[in-house]
Amino acid sequence: MAEATATGGKKSEAFVLSPEKLRRQRITKFIGEGVLLAVASFVAIVVLFIFYFVAVDAIPFFQQRGFVEFFTSTGWYPADEPGEFGALAIIYGSGMVTMGSALIAVPLGISAAICLSDVLPFSVRQYAKPVIEMLAAIPSVAYGFFALVIFAPLLQNYGGPILMWAWWLIAGPFVFLAVIVVGDLLTSKGGDGSKRKIVRIVLTGALAFLATLFLYWVGQTLFAIQILSGTNALNVSLILSFMALPTIVSVSEDSLQAVGRELREGSYALGATRAETIVKTVLPAASSGILAAVILGIMRALGETMVVWMASGNSSHIPEPWFNYLDSIRTLTATIAGDMGEADQVTGSERYHVLFAMGLLLLVFSFISNLVSERIVLRQRKILSGE
Amino acid sequence: MQMTAEEKDTNRVATESNATREIFLPPERERVKDGGTPHVSAKNFSVFYGNFEAVKKVNADILSRYVTAIIGPSGCGKSTFLRAINRMNDLIPSCYTSGSLLFDGEDIYGRYTDEVQLRKKIGMVFQKPNPFPKSIFDNIAYGPRLHGVKDKKALEEIVEKSLQKAALWDEVKDRLDRNALGLSGGQQQRLCVARTLAVEPEILLLDEPTSALDPKATAKIEDLIEELRGSYTILIVTHNMQQASRVSDYTMFYYEGDLVEYAPTKQLFTNPRDQVTEDYITGRFS
Amino acid sequence: MNLGTRKILDRSFTAVGITSILLMAAALLVVVVPIFSGGIGAIFFKGTIEHRKIQYNEFEKGSRKVIDRQIAEVTPYRQEVYRILDAFEADMETMEPAEKRDYLSKYKKVRDIVAHLLGPIPGDPEPILLRYQYGTTRWEKAEESLHDLMFVTKWDYSNPEEMAKQYFVPRADEFAGTALAALFPYMEKNLDKMLLPEQTFYWGFLTERSLDAHIFGGIWAEIQGTFFLAVGAMLFAFPLGVIAAIYFTEYARENFFTSVLRSANSTLAGVPSIVFGLFGLAFFINTIKVSDSKSVLAGSLTLAIMILPTIIRAAEEAILSVPRAYKEASMGLGSTKWRTILTVILPAALPGIITGGIISLGRAAGETAPIIFTAAVSVGATIGVADVFTQPTPALSWNIYNLASEHEAANEIRHVQYGMVLSLISIVLLLNLSAILLRAHVSKKLKG
Repeated sequence: MAEATATGGKKSEAFVLSPEKLRRQRITKFIGEGVLLAVASFVAIVVLFIFYFVAVDAIPFFQQRGFVEFFTSTGWYPADEPGEFGALAIIYGSGMVTMGSALIAVPLGISAAICLSDVLPFSVRQYAKPVIEMLAAIPSVAYGFFALVIFAPLLQNYGGPILMWAWWLIAGPFVFLAVIVVGDLLTSKGGDGSKRKIVRIVLTGALAFLATLFLYWVGQTLFAIQILSGTNALNVSLILSFMALPTIVSVSEDSLQAVGRELREGSYALGATRAETIVKTVLPAASSGILAAVILGIMRALGETMVVWMASGNSSHIPEPWFNYLDSIRTLTATIAGDMGEADQVTGSERYHVLFAMGLLLLVFSFISNLVSERIVLRQRKILSGE
Repeated sequence: MQMTAEEKDTNRVATESNATREIFLPPERERVKDGGTPHVSAKNFSVFYGNFEAVKKVNADILSRYVTAIIGPSGCGKSTFLRAINRMNDLIPSCYTSGSLLFDGEDIYGRYTDEVQLRKKIGMVFQKPNPFPKSIFDNIAYGPRLHGVKDKKALEEIVEKSLQKAALWDEVKDRLDRNALGLSGGQQQRLCVARTLAVEPEILLLDEPTSALDPKATAKIEDLIEELRGSYTILIVTHNMQQASRVSDYTMFYYEGDLVEYAPTKQLFTNPRDQVTEDYITGRFS
Repeated sequence: MNLGTRKILDRSFTAVGITSILLMAAALLVVVVPIFSGGIGAIFFKGTIEHRKIQYNEFEKGSRKVIDRQIAEVTPYRQEVYRILDAFEADMETMEPAEKRDYLSKYKKVRDIVAHLLGPIPGDPEPILLRYQYGTTRWEKAEESLHDLMFVTKWDYSNPEEMAKQYFVPRADEFAGTALAALFPYMEKNLDKMLLPEQTFYWGFLTERSLDAHIFGGIWAEIQGTFFLAVGAMLFAFPLGVIAAIYFTEYARENFFTSVLRSANSTLAGVPSIVFGLFGLAFFINTIKVSDSKSVLAGSLTLAIMILPTIIRAAEEAILSVPRAYKEASMGLGSTKWRTILTVILPAALPGIITGGIISLGRAAGETAPIIFTAAVSVGATIGVADVFTQPTPALSWNIYNLASEHEAANEIRHVQYGMVLSLISIVLLLNLSAILLRAHVSKKLKG
């Protein structure tokens, strides 16, 4: 041990630097960090560029045609001379499939997220997660191909039976559950024990009979439906909901996980069941995060191109009646993708610029949604961390 | 401040705050060669996290080549003080200091101080063993390579010497190319000591080095500290008062950021001057 | 509420959750299984002699001898068909003009189907398009054509309330009493002897160029184009993304500017993919003119911008998951911040960073919308590496759309479309799977 370094023996390696060496070191560090910052700012610059270049090509359209026609007319005849550029039906189509996919994906996604975070044991969860990742990884054009080549013919040939079976499978359990709950609630007051029990069984039975009639009636109505074209809003909404699901599930699950154990244990300790704990305690606490998840999922559906282009039918009109999901529609993204091929030859034409106007519309919408969801997530994090 | 140990038995080296106390060098037979000079000196030294003063106006000299233990309840500032010595606190953004902390007479927080060179001279071993996910050899050679040793022969020599100093050589000499994460906790911690020794520091800072280890591994680390005493100035933060009394020559007791008492270990444990110290070492609180 | 009811509600709540997970798994299966089984058919099918002829003539695969022998084998059966046709044509010459006109259009249909099955009929001028120079290459297609030959498809419009119903009438009835009537039973009986179907592994589907707009041949041009585009995008995005992640995790101070940068990142992640296409067209091609028109370079740059946020996020997560202890140990040994990042943090974070990179690579390979206006063409030969700066390329994603929606014979080449979709999905899922495995392997390794 004697040969070990002597205290203060090597002054040559002093830890105190000379002023110019220090200056040199500082300059190197400054330049290095500057380069890193420049690279990190690249993303922000790209975002600005995207807004600028899309807007620059969108503005000429509004200068020439104003806003009124674009937003209020349903006449879309861009190839005519002079053309008509009413995008209302197209905007409506985008809204329609987005809403449709949200109606499917949101309940499914949230219950899947709850299941992942609160119900399934860890070992099962490990296998469920890759399923969701795979669902997210499949390219949109593959979904589009599935919708066009496999699902659309099925829907066209067996539309009625498919709708009926879906109705029975989805609505059936919920309706009977509602029957049980209503029966319970109606008989929760008055009467003594055994008598009340009999009343309840009779009442619930009667309700169940009515419910079955109702289910059957709606089922038969659906069975009679004939779908003229399999490439319609229903097809697209369903496929888009597959694509929005992974986003909704993973963001909601993060949000549910962020609600701590303490809250759950507090509720269980008061004698609540798991369902009651989640519905009454966990979901309200995680609600803002789930809202953010829904917004992000909806954005995914709204911004999706290939599925709607291939399987929506691409007909620019508002369905009759307005909620008819079995009709073909046309969306903003599909219009941009489909019309640019013809418009590109005459760069600078109204037809070219109107597509950028649509792009700008999508861009602004996605920007706002992103900001909102980001704010929501931040706020939730602050509330949960107790600030 | 420069004084030699041989002249007198009663060599006063610290301190002014916390009432004047005198520290005595140990009896002749326990003394180390060339040691006992103030190696690190704190003068009115404070560390802040934002507005919170974690270490409050400490005045003390750490004597070279002796083992100094730092004890005190959790959150008393003992770790903060230790980490201030090699500026590991710089990694925490809201942390700043006041007063002065000298190392060999130069200000650790001075304008021209290069913290990278400083850390080379003041090595540190952490609470949890933290070997890199590399081979044993690469772990030890990491420091020397950083500081410019490229020759393979020289590196091998350094690795062997460091591992021997850390009493690990015999256990790992056949598997230097294995991943260090495969070692046991105690071996990992000795590897970390060896890794620190490989850059030839003057001071070793040990931040609760045995808190994550079992009693057997702890004993090995304590033996190692005993071995290294006399060659390095060692500061060890510990929760375990028996450990402090076993391995150290001097002990500092911190309480709520104050350096309450600083004395030779035997004296502090047998005859504490301060009521708080006594309460702590007798286990009235922890 | 009654305790029993509460329990039922609780159970059904759990059931709903598990059902939704199962539904997602089912959705995955419903999409993947038909594509998988259909896609296999592009490579593994019953190939006819026509398939082997194309393989030999166009790609010089197979042996001359075998093909000559098989041609000799089928020729007598085919001769009989041509003889019947000739006999009927001769009969037609002797018919009344009205009768002849009536037969002529019906006969033309028969003749077309025979030519489609067996290749050009001897005596006809050599067709220009390759698709008419050969007969049917796949046995199941041949069986479909045979059905077309045997039956006339008719529609029943009798009930105006319902959609028209399909029904079939034997074609032989149309030619009853003529020389052609013998053709139908003969074809039905001897079709396999004329085409010699054999179980075929057609690996060339993946490695050969397409012939006559994918009527024959493989999809190599698309695979290669997808490879160029995705790898090109990674070359730009990966280094940038990792460096940006290093800045965000190790250097950025928490201030307004940093939060703006982070916001920009999530904004970019949310931009619809078609808008990236518009931007690529307006900026890379029309403004800075990286190429005169569509090119691989422009497509790669557009894709790079699209995957940048994903890479940054993944790299950030990977870097943040490196234990602080490594950093402290390195700094404690007197390492500078930059060297600590290079020698300790990045190596430890590398598996995570690569996982993110692989997933982004898959995303770049699968995206269609950004390359529609910037890089993709529907037909085209394979391009060399040197051409990527100036030439557009076919790509799997775009050509799936194109063949399924815009190809003139979309229904005839479903097997090619399925094959392309399967290839694309396989590429993407294999990349994702390897990322998942890598992640599992690393987390196991870190646990020791």
